[in-house]
Amino acid sequence: MAKVVKEDVVCPFCGTLCDDIKIIIEDNEIIEVDNACAIGTAKFYSSNVSEHRYTKPMIRNNGKLEEASWDEALNKAAELLANAKRPLSYGWSSTECDAQRKAVELIEICGGILDNTASVCHGPSILAIQDVGCPTSTLGEYKNRADLVLFWGSNPVHAHPRHMSRYSDFIRGYFRVDGRLDRTIIVVDPRNTHTAQIADMHIKINPGEDYELFNAIRAILRGAELDVKKVAGVPVKQIKELVEILKSCKFGVLFFGLGLTMTKGKHRNVDAGISLVRELNDHTKFNLTPMRGHYNVSGANIVFTWSTGYPYSIDFSKDYPRYNPGEFSAVDILKTNDFDVTLVIASDPASNFPKDAVINMLKKPLISIEPHKTPTSEMADIVLPPAIAGIECEGTAYRMDKIPLRLRKVKNAPEGCMADAEIVEKLIEKVKELKGE
Amino acid sequence: MKFFLTSGRTIDQGVALEGQKLGRENIKACAICEFDKDDFKKLDCMIGTPVKVTTKFGEVVVYSQITEQGPHPGLIFIPMGPWANAIIDPETYGTGMPSYKGTDAEVEVVKSGKILSALEIVKSYK
Amino acid sequence: MSKIELTLKKEPTFSLEAESISPDNFKGKTQKDIGALRVFHGNEKLSLKDFFDIKGTAGNNLDDIEIVVNGNLSKVKRIGEKMSGGAITINGDVGMHVGNTMSGGKIVVNGNAADWAGAMMEGGELEITENAGNYVGAAYRGNWEGMTNGVIKVKGSVGYESMIWARGSTPKKRFPKLICGSAGQFLGLHNHGGIIICEGDAEARVAADQARGFVVVKGKIGRMMPSFKKIGEVSEIELPDGEKISDKFIEYSGDHATSAKTKGRLFVAK
Repeated sequence: MAKVVKEDVVCPFCGTLCDDIKIIIEDNEIIEVDNACAIGTAKFYSSNVSEHRYTKPMIRNNGKLEEASWDEALNKAAELLANAKRPLSYGWSSTECDAQRKAVELIEICGGILDNTASVCHGPSILAIQDVGCPTSTLGEYKNRADLVLFWGSNPVHAHPRHMSRYSDFIRGYFRVDGRLDRTIIVVDPRNTHTAQIADMHIKINPGEDYELFNAIRAILRGAELDVKKVAGVPVKQIKELVEILKSCKFGVLFFGLGLTMTKGKHRNVDAGISLVRELNDHTKFNLTPMRGHYNVSGANIVFTWSTGYPYSIDFSKDYPRYNPGEFSAVDILKTNDFDVTLVIASDPASNFPKDAVINMLKKPLISIEPHKTPTSEMADIVLPPAIAGIECEGTAYRMDKIPLRLRKVKNAPEGCMADAEIVEKLIEKVKELKGE
Repeated sequence: MKFFLTSGRTIDQGVALEGQKLGRENIKACAICEFDKDDFKKLDCMIGTPVKVTTKFGEVVVYSQITEQGPHPGLIFIPMGPWANAIIDPETYGTGMPSYKGTDAEVEVVKSGKILSALEIVKSYK
Repeated sequence: MSKIELTLKKEPTFSLEAESISPDNFKGKTQKDIGALRVFHGNEKLSLKDFFDIKGTAGNNLDDIEIVVNGNLSKVKRIGEKMSGGAITINGDVGMHVGNTMSGGKIVVNGNAADWAGAMMEGGELEITENAGNYVGAAYRGNWEGMTNGVIKVKGSVGYESMIWARGSTPKKRFPKLICGSAGQFLGLHNHGGIIICEGDAEARVAADQARGFVVVKGKIGRMMPSFKKIGEVSEIELPDGEKISDKFIEYSGDHATSAKTKGRLFVAK
């Protein structure tokens, strides 16, 4: 069969959503991926049928996962969800917006809890944004204008490998004609990360003291003299130097990562970061953007927000949506055993949640919608194999700067796989039938 | 020896999670603990010798490695995954977010520790 | 006095949303009416009598109503939500949101309380004899006005982010106040006129981003915010609500990160 070349494909891996990928397909198999980073390339290749991929629904019988028909697996999953008194649904960030929209309907009918991966990613950033706002812009704007890029608790070389070459570092922009030479890059991180190694300045901060450093910078920016000589391991002299650099740039941008959201202080670290950016706007133009991980976690927040009012950690038990991370967030619900069934889609909480939460999750029925074998799916009671969104079916995804991009279908899904949205739609029908609605 | 443990993404971990979570790749990418060069000398072992990392919340055996992203004396790094998550602080302080980064840890060299696969770790929770 | 006693007879499997337990909701109701009040158990709509043995009737005078709740209530949420008068005594540990947005009356918890105890209180009194969770007297997500009046007393520790975004006003005589044994991080964050007295130690980031208000720590602070500046030493503090504390303290102004001329004060025992 002839080779098919697809160009300008959007990569469904991280929040950077690179849209210049070239894919070569032969006999419905991806044989070449150009322009993508190592992770994106691995993601495209992973869609080829292999021993790592499910192509048939599975049901656990006597402790072993066995192949089953779609009807059987869907009926069983729908029964579990329809009879549940407190079902928990988690994931939704590595799929497209249509499936996310249907997720809201499904969990609303079930009277359950709907959470996406933001809850262990940039959820704290959202909490902070809800408290103190978010002066932000698009990646294109940064590319063309930013002459100062501050990466705080973020290591794009590893987590968003093409972010720097496409938007924030090496790329030439309209007002940044010399690319890297026209930009000052500053990295704040306790480790001398690969990103720090190619920056102009690395501020080596004590781990877990980001909040103190932010507020010290803010106080100095307001003209206060500090009583101390060092903050978070950084000499006050260096902080003053940093403040001058921040004030004197033409257009600055703060990109922050999980170094802020996962250390003690969490959303308050981001709160202080946002406040700093807000105050820098008294002196120059400054913006910020969280470095979102999953390619469509931004979309999950947006879709959930326009349909329920809330971005994640939503509880439908009272028939109307309520929101409170810490109470309705997946990790807390699992830790306190406040659930009876878990529906996981496009995510692997068995790998990514703390031990305590995983132990509880495995005690109760678990449904996994997942193309690949993961610790979660291998421990599940029902596995429903989807087509991979952005490779085997179309859809919309939101980039980290909340720009929607259309994902493309470049190859067919293995026979027997259904799109996420279709699976959720079928679950909705069956649950409605069982509930007599 | 006492260290401060942090976890996070690496590009190898990212590659391994795409369809190879049950495979050898994932162990090679994530069942590791990165040490500062000088700290590693004090451990007095060969690169790749298994180490047991213990925190208040559990223990896990992973391969030792010298970091490329140093120096960071006193700090150890385990890529995100079931190995790190076996020992990180699960407390969310009412925010939904566990404290993935930042836990006190104790490290000892083990000569013949078995490094479990991702699935083996999760299976041990059942 | 009309006294109603509720004793937990069946432990809930999931969290039980019981905002119906408050003097305002019980007012003028018979034992049967009270038993029929709605609770949510997961997505099941049930009644109070499904979980509690109920004794007594409530009169028509709100301030005379006293509710006693017994049992392990650690999964029972929202007791005393929005109450405006009367009294609740809880004998046992209690779940999240106890006494949230209450504006009057008194709640005593003889045990521990989970997160969000007394969140966004507008008045009245909440007393917890053991420890409380995170977000005691805090503002709910995205709110710039948290606790505006009333008093919370916690004998033991309070968790992270207690009494954040408090809004007091001396001219309007609104003095939101928290007294606690010890505290986690971010005690009195974004304080706007709240009064906090910590009898013991506080972990870190005390009064961070405080614009105005008083925070008194009679023990030690684990890690002081760098954006606070020492003013001097005092031997007596007079709080805006008239209370005086006589002891030797170091007085700091801050948080200077939020305003150069901050009216916030932090006192730490010398």
